[in-house]
Amino acid sequence: MDANIENMKKEAYRAGFSVLVLLAMLTVGEYLLGSIAVGWWAPLVGISLLKAFFIVRDYMHLPRLFAGEEEQE
Amino acid sequence: MSTQTSTLSDYRRRLTTNRLGLWLFIISDAFLFGGLLVSRFYLLGTAIRPEASQIVGLVVTSILLLSSFFMNRAETAIAHGDRKTFQFSLLVTLLLGVLFLAGVVGVEWRIAPFGPSDGAAASLFYTMTGFHAFHVLSGVLFLAIVWRNGRKGLYSPEKHWAVEAAAVYWHFVDVVWVFFYPALYLIGTP
Repeated sequence: MDANIENMKKEAYRAGFSVLVLLAMLTVGEYLLGSIAVGWWAPLVGISLLKAFFIVRDYMHLPRLFAGEEEQE
Repeated sequence: MSTQTSTLSDYRRRLTTNRLGLWLFIISDAFLFGGLLVSRFYLLGTAIRPEASQIVGLVVTSILLLSSFFMNRAETAIAHGDRKTFQFSLLVTLLLGVLFLAGVVGVEWRIAPFGPSDGAAASLFYTMTGFHAFHVLSGVLFLAIVWRNGRKGLYSPEKHWAVEAAAVYWHFVDVVWVFFYPALYLIGTP
């Protein structure tokens, strides 16, 4: 039981770190895009939307809002 | 045993309502930032941006993203009963929030080659970063209260709504910056 909880915790930590790596890569990408291609605003907006999606889904846990009482963590 | 089960059941019922209330607040607050973002593109278009420091912009953005990671780590830790990691990660989040404020208000505002009254781009820059900084400040205060309560042992894996609320608010502030960063620093030329 304890080992199971420990594994779940490690998995949750790993998921949080994966999101950070993804967000860091997207941020570097948008910085380079903004520096090189000055007129390209649409891809920058796209990157922002993608970053916001990952934060809202994985860090803000939006799906929890739609979970029933029995499914609460 | 049945009293304990009933209490937990009541708590979970309240949690559903609390989450809905928090998200309604977040959505209403998002309209404020949405309005500022629309103003920026309406007044400046996509060809002009404020003459802000690119390096400071990238650094403060990285700091805020890192703080979101530590906030998520703190929430995960308390949900799994890991109090030590919870307290440590929350403190790191708080300090990164203070560092972000110092970067924007203490450095960026100081080195910017324009004042708030030097045209539309300058006014927008100070209004947008100022509104956002106030939200970061209130988030830092929220985190400080949660950290203090955490030291008193007020949260458990079953009951930690305040931690969840602080986390959702903090990540929301991060999401706002995700849109403000390209709008103020990357889209257009000074």
